[in-house]
Amino acid sequence: MTAHQSTLTYVFAVCGPPGPEAEALGGLSGVAPPAPVRTLAAGPLTAVVQDVPAADYAEEALRERLSDRAELERCARAHHEVITASMAAAPTVPLPLATLYRGEERAREALRAREESLLTALGRITGRVEWGVKVYALAGQPAAAASSPGAAAASGRAYLEQLRSRQRGREERQGAALRAAERVDTVVRGLAVAARRLRPHGAEVTGPRRTHVLNAAYLVDRGRERQLRAALASLRRDDASVEIELSGPWAPYSFADGGTAP
Amino acid sequence: MTELDTRWDRPEPNGPVTSNLADILERVLDKGIVIAGDIKIDLLDIELLTIRLRLFVSSVDTARKAGIDWWETDPALSSRAARDALAVENAELRERLRAIGAGSEEADGGGDGGRGGAGT
Repeated sequence: MTAHQSTLTYVFAVCGPPGPEAEALGGLSGVAPPAPVRTLAAGPLTAVVQDVPAADYAEEALRERLSDRAELERCARAHHEVITASMAAAPTVPLPLATLYRGEERAREALRAREESLLTALGRITGRVEWGVKVYALAGQPAAAASSPGAAAASGRAYLEQLRSRQRGREERQGAALRAAERVDTVVRGLAVAARRLRPHGAEVTGPRRTHVLNAAYLVDRGRERQLRAALASLRRDDASVEIELSGPWAPYSFADGGTAP
Repeated sequence: MTELDTRWDRPEPNGPVTSNLADILERVLDKGIVIAGDIKIDLLDIELLTIRLRLFVSSVDTARKAGIDWWETDPALSSRAARDALAVENAELRERLRAIGAGSEEADGGGDGGRGGAGT
């Protein structure tokens, strides 16, 4: 195998044999169109790859590009799109953004070197998908018994009392939101084979009116989606003080290398 | 109370219905099985960028910078908060009294998420 001078091999994901059919990857532009997104056989494994221009994906160029928010977003979405398509067609272990080799043969070598752990990962995720569950506290929601501000503020003592009660209300809401998050986590863990906490999102993502109190991922058997949705619907009915969101099904990003037991 | 998470996002044709950029980034940058590539790009470098600081609450400190003082004011979450609770209340009180003295009326609902942008 002669090393390609002008292209690198970008590896999106690893699947078991036979991997996704060519049609499943056909319409994808990947990270560097127009080169096709295709499969690459590597022993018992099948990689999902794309040839990318070496000039654009050398270390410096790559670092620069991923430091640009718009470009980072484009790459991340393209990477994710390929993995999602692959996952729809075959059990898929995602690799992180920008896993790059100097040619097909180097990619094969790397997969061979990690064959055992990749096969273990495939065994763990086959027939399962990742679901994201988020719980938000609704910030700034007035306490149930808010007193009328104008009149109360007339007296300093009453005003102080009003502030205290507002503070108490806030603390109660926060405590309740955290307890709600734990309840949600416990219920969903009961349906999952593995779980993992992710970092809560900042205000730029959540908006100013709510605070992210639980960001978690769960590895769940494909057949349990309805149960999961029903459980969340019931949790929502029980507690209107928080928002509960479900995202997915995701490729098992958060469980490719494990995760905690539920 | 909705299952959709599209408020700050555009829908993605082939992905899950609910994939905002933060959801995707936390997965494609941090997760997946890591095998050594030939091109060494430390994705943790990206950690240093304001992009990440703005999208994720990686610590209480970052949360505070992002204007989320919520954690600090909850004594159950932070022992420091317990110590500061009175000071915070006093500061808030002074602020409110000043506002009232200046004739301005009720503004704050208690949540105050508007303390400036994130990421310094």
